[in-house]
Amino acid sequence: MTPVSALLIFIALILYILGQLFLKHAMESDLRSARFKKNFAVGLSAMTVSFFITLGLLQHFDLSYLYPFQGLSVVIISLLAAAILREKLTPRLFIGAALISAGVVLVSLS
Amino acid sequence: MIHKTKKLLLKPWFQLVLTVLFVTTSEVFLKRGAVEAPRLPEQVNWTGVSGLASPNVWYGILFVIASFISWLYVLRFIPLTIAYPLSNFVHVLIPLSSWLFLNEHISVQRWCGIALVLLGVLIVAKPVARMEEKL
Repeated sequence: MTPVSALLIFIALILYILGQLFLKHAMESDLRSARFKKNFAVGLSAMTVSFFITLGLLQHFDLSYLYPFQGLSVVIISLLAAAILREKLTPRLFIGAALISAGVVLVSLS
Repeated sequence: MIHKTKKLLLKPWFQLVLTVLFVTTSEVFLKRGAVEAPRLPEQVNWTGVSGLASPNVWYGILFVIASFISWLYVLRFIPLTIAYPLSNFVHVLIPLSSWLFLNEHISVQRWCGIALVLLGVLIVAKPVARMEEKL
């Protein structure tokens, strides 16, 4: 893995996380409101850019190696959903999320 | 029959299952397509746009769109702290599909990681399943 591909993997991850949070926020609002349109557009754009970067990375790495980097997003998204979107994050949910992230990191390191 | 199908399709939990299946299918198609795609000069190589020349990439994109629509439906009804960890069941299905359909090798360490993901998904899913029974 070169510094450039590491940076691209990182950028794809950040954009993906932001996309999920914006989309969730959008889907909870009135689907005809201006706020929905704005949040949806931001979320969709972030995910689209993340998608094309991932597609480019797939040309150089195995799928089972590359895709699991997104697994780090589980813990980050759970924490941010609780902090920003005021969702309930029980200890059980957090342990589950942490196990998933740990598992995915283990997969991507092997 | 049609009524029953419609009722099932409207269930957020069923849509979550569909999301996971669609994502897995899309990734297999995208990997197949990306390998087939012509390599562009280094400067533009990283975007992966050359992948659009392969029909497999387009099949992949169709499944991405399908998974996106079902995921939006899920987001409307299920909190992200529950839906997102559960959607990570794809990290069990994708390595399994890479192994089955793309002939990729899975090491022992990787199998352990897949098992951990599965355990995490079960831990999140269990109280949710109980909650569903009560409804």
